[in-house]
Amino acid sequence: MRGDALVYPWDDTEISLTSPVAPGYVAPGMDSSDVPNARGRLDLLDPFEISKLGGLELITEGVVEGFLSGLHRSPRRGFSVEFAEHRMYQPGDELRYVDWKILGRNDRLYVKQFEEETNLRAMVVFDISRSMAWTGSPATVLPKIAYAQRLVAALALVLIRQRDATGLITFDDDVRSVTPPRARLSHWRQLLGTLATVEAGLGTAAEPALRRVVGQLHRRGLVVFVSDLLLDQTLALKALRFLRHRGHQVLVLHIMDPAEVALGGPNEARFEDPESRTAVVLRPRDWAGAYRDTVRAVITQWRLACRRHGIAYHRVTTDTPYGVVLREALTPPSRSA
Amino acid sequence: MIGFLHPWVLAGLAAAAIPLLLHLLARREPPTVVFPAVRYLLSTTREHQRRLKLQNWLLLLLRTLLVATLVMAAAGPTVPLRGVPGHSPTALALIVDNSPSSGTMAGGSPQLAQLIAVARGVLARSTADDALWLIAADGIPRRGGAAALGELLDHLTVSPRRLELGSALALASEILAAEARPGEIVMLTDLQASALSAARPSAPVLIGRPTAVPPPNTGIGQIETGTQPWSSGGGRISVVLVGDSGSSVPVSARLGERPPRQALGRVGGGLALTLPGVPPGWWTLTTALDPDEFRLDDRRVAAVRVSPVARVRWDSTSRFLAAASEVLASNGRIVPGQEVTLGHLARGASVVQPPNDPAQLGALNRSLAARGVAWTYGNASGELAFSDSGALVGRHRVTRRYLLQSAVSGRTGVLATVNGTPWIVRDGGVILLGSRLEPAWTDLPTSAGFMPFMDILLNRLARGEAALDQGAPGDPVPLPDLVTLVRQGDQEWRVEGGGLFQPPDAGVYYLLAGADTVGAISANPDPRESQLARASDVQARQLWKGARLVSLKDVADYAFSSASRGDLRGPLLWLALVAGLVEMGLASAWRRRA
Repeated sequence: MRGDALVYPWDDTEISLTSPVAPGYVAPGMDSSDVPNARGRLDLLDPFEISKLGGLELITEGVVEGFLSGLHRSPRRGFSVEFAEHRMYQPGDELRYVDWKILGRNDRLYVKQFEEETNLRAMVVFDISRSMAWTGSPATVLPKIAYAQRLVAALALVLIRQRDATGLITFDDDVRSVTPPRARLSHWRQLLGTLATVEAGLGTAAEPALRRVVGQLHRRGLVVFVSDLLLDQTLALKALRFLRHRGHQVLVLHIMDPAEVALGGPNEARFEDPESRTAVVLRPRDWAGAYRDTVRAVITQWRLACRRHGIAYHRVTTDTPYGVVLREALTPPSRSA
Repeated sequence: MIGFLHPWVLAGLAAAAIPLLLHLLARREPPTVVFPAVRYLLSTTREHQRRLKLQNWLLLLLRTLLVATLVMAAAGPTVPLRGVPGHSPTALALIVDNSPSSGTMAGGSPQLAQLIAVARGVLARSTADDALWLIAADGIPRRGGAAALGELLDHLTVSPRRLELGSALALASEILAAEARPGEIVMLTDLQASALSAARPSAPVLIGRPTAVPPPNTGIGQIETGTQPWSSGGGRISVVLVGDSGSSVPVSARLGERPPRQALGRVGGGLALTLPGVPPGWWTLTTALDPDEFRLDDRRVAAVRVSPVARVRWDSTSRFLAAASEVLASNGRIVPGQEVTLGHLARGASVVQPPNDPAQLGALNRSLAARGVAWTYGNASGELAFSDSGALVGRHRVTRRYLLQSAVSGRTGVLATVNGTPWIVRDGGVILLGSRLEPAWTDLPTSAGFMPFMDILLNRLARGEAALDQGAPGDPVPLPDLVTLVRQGDQEWRVEGGGLFQPPDAGVYYLLAGADTVGAISANPDPRESQLARASDVQARQLWKGARLVSLKDVADYAFSSASRGDLRGPLLWLALVAGLVEMGLASAWRRRA
């Protein structure tokens, strides 16, 4: 850790994508310049397509492997890499911490001592309200909740592989499950079990769930808030600010279906909110432009509000490959777009 | 008024409702779509709802306008072009209402002068290709060019004849119906309410009428001279005033050039005047009022016969004849004498009724023939019948009668009829009654009109005189059989008895048989002319569908407008094109923006 700021081990690494999947394939959210190097990597494939390949665990591992293999330097080398001092080697010390330069010069064995030897504690707060169970194109795009399940699983695996303790809170209009953070790999399977059993709930009330994080993270840690943000913005921001004030790093992943970004549908339709049952009748063709402006304004509003309080914000559409999202989400705020 | 070359195409205007119907149908039962981000939609619609609604209505309006203008253009609309010089050849009937009321003074000159000035303006707009007619109150359509009709207008004066406006329009329509050119009727009138009558003009009608309120007026509507002849002791007349003035006015009456008698009268009421005795003869009674704006009805005339009463010998065995004679004698209307024999044929003037005993009828017929009377009694008829109303008798039940037969062709001398067959006839000094004046034959003796009938019968008809008749200038009046000459002042008209005579002007016309004056016709303006109140435009339009009413000063501008019509198809097609382009432009711009 560097002061209050959370620093990841790959903080200074240059992320590059190396295993191209198929010639000519461009996953949504990818730049075409990435394509030649993307062969064979699940993290860069279309989320809907890879969902057909297997279960949650298999897919998540594949995604994370692909994601990690795309990095120039493995994040597994150097957790909490703030160097502090050298000390004499003692039997049992890991050889990888031996300073070979000193050995070469002085013929003595020293190992590097780091300032923070304890790993990060992260808590994922996952919105499983009814609105998350929706997709605008069931044949081509995953429902938001399914997409977020895989994303959360991948994120948890990345963190746990870094020895970061990771927990999970699911909520709809109330907190539905709480899984305390652990750093063991077996804990990831427990998280998978929880994720695999989530079902879309009712309404959305994020504040109680976010406040429950305080009880789970006793030290400063990372809070990842995964939601479609179709909730009371004021209350949610208030809770997120509270977490920031407690010293936690906060990352908001705003999950959106592509059909929520660009309005489409029949010539005229009655649009009904699955949670509140509020409805409005309109012609999408007439309102598409204005709706796009509204969505853009909402996203800008969230982004500005989060930036004002030091909260990282990322909008994620459910057709974006997981690797792209992970790269953006796990890049420190100063380097994110 | 907009006209259409193909008016049936206008049925297609229903198609203008198609955009609206599509709009309404499209609004029906939209499918429900589950959409979590409804809050964004609500936020969007809150901000843009009004603008979008306005856009939708504007597009709907443009689409409806597009369809409507296309349909209208297909129907071939035309509009009159007001005041545009030049027009296609037109058949124009110009009606100038110079009826008596047009003599009403307005602004120092008669109303007719204004009408004539406007008529000249209409004629000035005509071209050599137009067919023009001028119709005035005399009812004679006169065709000619603008110059010829202008000359007629120069000599047009206030006519004593009444003009029924509906009849004038019907006449004009009849004239124009024979014309190949598009017709138009221009009527210049004071639009007197009492002159309105229904008509179905076949051509467009333009009516020019004054806008000023007509002045209040009082006129003499009727003179009653009572039973005639008057005795030399004088007589009593009653005068009825008509009009719309409420003030009392002095009325004067005089016989010939004798000093007048005066009395005050009021509109709606009658006044009675007793005139002093004058020598026997025919006298012209003149009643007059102080002059007002409408002069023609301030004077009215009537003929008065002054003579000694008939000297009558009556048959006392006929109960009803005897009773009537005694009543007349007691009232001084007859005196016993030998001048007229009542009841049977005798020397001198006789009023003959059929005998009770049919066996005596042959002898009576032979006596009539021996006397040279052209009429005889024919077969008896017991069929119930009624007399035809006429100047002498009204409608009375007739249960028994003898048919009267004439030995000469024609039906000269018929004074009254039953079912169209002669019932009372006269030849020379002999009057034959078809029924006895008894209740078993007819109800005339028991009716209220019996005594006046007997008075006229004895004092006038039996003495060879005709009934006094009344008429209006220009209206035909039937002449008695024996009349050969009609005289008014220095003017004389040779006539044939039984024919018709049209008094050319107001006044008393004396009817002469040879050298003897046997009757008179009193011709006076129609009392309805005294009602100067003007009809409203609404009343006129109700009677004459499609008529356009304008003030007199605008008539010249609107005349020939039926022929000066602009084709609206071009402008409408342009309008449709503009509407279509605007609709396309707006729709695509808004769609791009959306």
